[in-house]
Parts: sequence; structure tokens; C-alpha cells
Amino acid sequence: MDLFLQTLLNGLLIGGVIATFTIAFQLTFGVLHVIDFAVGGWVVLGGYLGYYVTALLGLDGFAAIPLAFVLFGALGYLIGPVLYNVRNSRTARPELMALALTFGLFTLLRGGMLTAWGFNTRNVTTFLSGESLAVGPVIVPLIRVAAAVFAAAIAGGLFLFLYRTRYGLAIRATAENCHNAALMGVNIRRLSANVYGLYAGITAMAGVLMGAIYSVNPEVGLRYTLFAFFVAVLAGLGSVGGAVAAALMLGVIEAFVSTYVGSSYSLLAIFATLFVVLLVSPKGILRRGL
Amino acid sequence: MSTLAADTIVTGYGKQEIVHGVSLAAEAGKITCIFGPNGCGKSTLLKAIAGALPVWGGAARLDDTVLSNLPVHEVVRQGLVLMPQGGGVFPRLTVMENLRMGGYAIADKRLVEARIEALIEQYPSLARRRRTLAGALSGGEQAMLSLARALVSEPRFILLDEPSAGLSPAMVLETLERITTLTRQGIGILMVEQNIREAMPIADRLYILAAGEKRFEGSPADVRDDRQIMDIYMGGA
Ligand SMILES: Nc1ncnc2c1ncn2[C@@H]1O[C@H](COP(=O)(O)OP(=O)(O)O)[C@@H](O)[C@H]1O
Ligand SMILES: [Mg+2]
Repeated sequence: MDLFLQTLLNGLLIGGVIATFTIAFQLTFGVLHVIDFAVGGWVVLGGYLGYYVTALLGLDGFAAIPLAFVLFGALGYLIGPVLYNVRNSRTARPELMALALTFGLFTLLRGGMLTAWGFNTRNVTTFLSGESLAVGPVIVPLIRVAAAVFAAAIAGGLFLFLYRTRYGLAIRATAENCHNAALMGVNIRRLSANVYGLYAGITAMAGVLMGAIYSVNPEVGLRYTLFAFFVAVLAGLGSVGGAVAAALMLGVIEAFVSTYVGSSYSLLAIFATLFVVLLVSPKGILRRGL
Repeated sequence: MSTLAADTIVTGYGKQEIVHGVSLAAEAGKITCIFGPNGCGKSTLLKAIAGALPVWGGAARLDDTVLSNLPVHEVVRQGLVLMPQGGGVFPRLTVMENLRMGGYAIADKRLVEARIEALIEQYPSLARRRRTLAGALSGGEQAMLSLARALVSEPRFILLDEPSAGLSPAMVLETLERITTLTRQGIGILMVEQNIREAMPIADRLYILAAGEKRFEGSPADVRDDRQIMDIYMGGA
């Protein structure tokens, strides 16, 4: 029973961190209509930043969080217009061209990181690493709690931005109908660049947290890309509300399979869930609007 | 007096030319109507004038400003709003959020809120449903919402694409009545309509389009005098 509770809690905490970047992933799809294959690449970049901030600068890993947002947000902002141009080009299948572009970006990031940093697994160390908290019979690693708190703050900030500011309103309107939003005076091209930057920044922040909980190497990116795809399929592409629920579910599935079956089966379990969901309801099971 | 002029506009989709060089003019404070059979390019022409579709030839002008050189999101800042076919409300945004989008081009947020408050009083059905999602409104209420939203930016010209389509007879009359009221504030209306019988009496000037070309222009009286036009395009209305 204790193990069950412990596993459930661990899963929910991880799911919360996964939720931050899958929300942003969904938002990007809503606005740019691009499925970003590179999502896992941004996670890994964030993780490495966390490692280098501790290894080279001697700072606490958490210091990398704002840095990740600024650095990779800016990089995303620069890449955004390219993605927008490809997605809105007059080629025969712009959506496939855009997918190919993000796949290329992912490959480039992965290859670049392998070349630069090799296949070494790195950790992000923070002042909470190794500490744990006993809640009754359940023992939770403090880093997971802190990561989930950061994740909740990031997601909360994003929702406040989307629902309480004018620009957030423009983003939601654009996600709903970009043609009508343009008629209202929204510069869709610039907004798309901003959203891609926001997404890349948030995803890299989640990467720092993931690197503190697990570890990073250039190969784990694919795993996070699959996570994002899993959540997108479960929630319905573009649905932000459903992404939170789907990410929590993913975290719990992954935790239970790792604890009770073996961590090598967790991806298998995730695919099996995806498969069943697609069979039962091809539109996703948690479909809800932005 | 402001004038909105389209000068031999050519446009289309992909490689397909739909509008083959149409010219027209709309005056401030007047209602200019475009009639024509389904699929003849009326919506396409309106979109081209509003900058939502690139023009291949010719240009749209608002007084001395060439609208066709501007990106679509700048056109609203010149004082021209397009209400697209179907109204173009955002179904998953609330009534208030839709109205705020109508004022997106205005930098002063407080001015927008003040305008919305002044406007919404004239639309009781909206005032009661501020926090309702636009998608949950009735067709008539959505039509009112898109009209009200178009007014938040205080445009000089409004392009309306079939504002009364799909409405009950009573709502058609209310909508057209509200549109007439706008002209008294000096707003120019360029409107595509299918309810010709109801729109004719309020039109100051009208154009008839067919197969992407202008077939007629004149006053409603001119049309009524033209037996051939009446029979072919107006169904004897
Ligand atoms: N987005 C589009 N892509 C390609 N063709 C279109 C598009 N919209 C309209 N058309 C075509 O352009 C022609 C004119 O359409 P439209 O301007 O909507 O007609 P109207 O408003 O007069 O009914 C039609 O043949 C229609 O099929
Ligand atoms: Mg039309």
C-alpha cells in the first residue's frame, strides 16, 4: 500500500513536469499548426544547460531555469519565422514540409549535442538533490516535489498570461482562427514567432527539471518527443486543457510500470495505451478547447 | 468625405483567377451593396479589398492610402474592418473576449473597455451574456456580436459579407436596421447580401457581379428600371 501511494505520488509529480512542456507543445500546434518533432531536443538542451550551470559556473541547478527560458526562448524566437514560412509556403504539402523541418531540427540538435558533449549521462545538481521528505509512510524525493512546484508555477504563469493579458487573448484567438484574428489586427507571423519562442523557453525549463530528477544525455530527447506525442494524441492535438490531464496520466502509467513491471517496459506500456486510445477514440479521449 | 475605392481588382486562389478586374467605390455614410449569384466571387472581392487575400492586379484605396500595399493586420488600423461571411466570431472565446479582440488594434486598453461598455448597452442580448462563450449564442446573437465587434475599433468603413444570412425574418430586419443606423454616424458600408428584397430599400448604390466581373452599377432605381437585370439577377425582386 505504501509502495502504491509512493508510486502514485511520484507519477503525479513527474506528470506535472511533463505537463508544462506538453501544454506549450499543444499551444504551438494550435497557433502554428506544426507538430514539433524537436520538442525532446529542447528538453535535452535545458538539461545540459542545467548541468553546465553547475559544472562550469558552480551555481545551483535551479539557477538554470530562468536562463533556459531566456536563452532557448530567444533561439525559438529566431527559428519561429522559418517554421512559419515553411508552414505557410505554397508548396504542395506545407504541413509535411514543416514536420520534415522539425524532424531535421531534432536530428541536428541531437547530432550536435552528441558531437559536442558525447554520450555522457549528466545530472543537474541542486541543493535538494538526494534529500527526501517523509509524509507518513511515503517517502518523496524533495527534488521531485520542488520540480512539480516549479512546473505548477510555470504552467500557472502561462495560463495567467493566456487568460489575463491582451496578448494571451490574441494567442487564443489565433489558435482558434488565424484568419479572423488577422482581420482584428493581429500580426500572425510575429505572434507565431513569439509563441514558438515561448514554447521553446518553457520546454527547456522543463528540461532543467527533468535533468534534476533523472539525468540527460543526447539520446533521451526522443523519449520526450514521444511523451509529447502521447499527450497530444490522448488530449487531442491542440487541446491545452486536456494536455494537463493526459500528462498526469502519462506520469502515473510510467511510474507504475517502472515500479511494478520494470522501467524497460514503460515505453511499451505507453505505446499500448496510445494504441488502445486510438482504436477506441481516434480523436483523443480528453478533447477540450484551449 | 471618405471614399473606399477598388480599382480593377484581380485576384483568386492558387492559380485560379476568380475576380477579373472589378472596380467599385463606396462612400462614407452610404450603403453600397454587392449582389450576384453564388460563387461569383463576392466574398473573394471583399477579402481582397480588406487585404485578407493578396491582389494580383489593381488596388484598393481608402482615400489616399493604398490598402493593397499593407499586410492584413494593418488594414484595420486604417479604419476598415471586414466582417467575414458567417460573422467570424471566435466560438471558444466569451462575448467580452470577442469584443476585446475587436479593439485589439487600439493601443489604449482602457479606451477599448470604455467603448465596449458604451456599445454593449445598445445590444441587450449581449449585455446579458458577457461571459458566455460565443459558440453557445444563437445565430442572431452571434450576428449581433460580430456587428458589435466590428464597431469597437470605430472604423470609417465596414465590409459586411452576408450579415443577414441564416437569420430569421425578424432578425434580418433588425440587422439591416442596425446597419442603416451606422451610416447616420458617418460609417461607410460595403455589403454583400443575398436577401436582395430586404437590402434593396436601404442601399444607396449597388453593384451586380457575375462570374467574377461587374455586370451592373447604379442606384436601386436604375436597377428597377432595367427589366433584363431584374429578371436575370434579381429573380424579379
Ligand atoms: N479558399 C478558397 N480556395 C479556393 N477556391 C475558393 C476559396 N474560396 C472560394 N473559392 C472559389 O472561388 C469562387 C468564388 O467564391 P466566393 O467569393 O466565396 O463566392 P461568393 O461569395 O460570391 O458566393 C468559387 O468558385 C469558390 O469555389
Ligand atoms: Mg460569399
